[in-house]
Amino acid sequence: MQKLNVEVLSVSVDSVFTHKIWNETELSKMVDGGIPYPMLSDQNGSIGSLYGVYNEESGVNIRGRFLIDADGIIQAAEILSPPVGRNPKELLRQIKAYQHHQKTGEVMPSGWEEGGKTLKPSTALAGNVWKEWQPK
Amino acid sequence: MLVGKKAPNFTAKAFHKGKITSITLEDLKGKWVVLCFYPGDFTFV
Repeated sequence: MQKLNVEVLSVSVDSVFTHKIWNETELSKMVDGGIPYPMLSDQNGSIGSLYGVYNEESGVNIRGRFLIDADGIIQAAEILSPPVGRNPKELLRQIKAYQHHQKTGEVMPSGWEEGGKTLKPSTALAGNVWKEWQPK
Repeated sequence: MLVGKKAPNFTAKAFHKGKITSITLEDLKGKWVVLCFYPGDFTFV
């Protein structure tokens, strides 16, 4: 993530002290050296409310993930209900795709992976995408 | 729907590498940010 100029921030309604204990007692046994990124405390759910992921009934933030570019614009978001975890590979794919787009103006078709076929939008390409790219 | 819009700014206390710090989103301009919400510490997923 550092190579891609990406900062990760995690957010929950727990206190910073709970974060500390969780990191010490459990997470450091799953990740060498413990969690490397800042773990934010959102005890009244105010940040979660700003992003539309705070659930007042249960008093917690649901699993929302927002990809924010270097200009502070949200480029992508994913929101999952509690039982299912995220897929970091998909996040990485999206970061690489958006960064590639911002660098080159090219666009990434469905299912694109790093190094895969990209398209250069143009009037000539309209109606001719099929010549350049086919779904697998 | 927030996609395509400016990310709402915030300041929050954070635990980072053994220390308690404060993070303001706007201070991170120039970097990409992945903001991950989750239900709570010591949960299972």
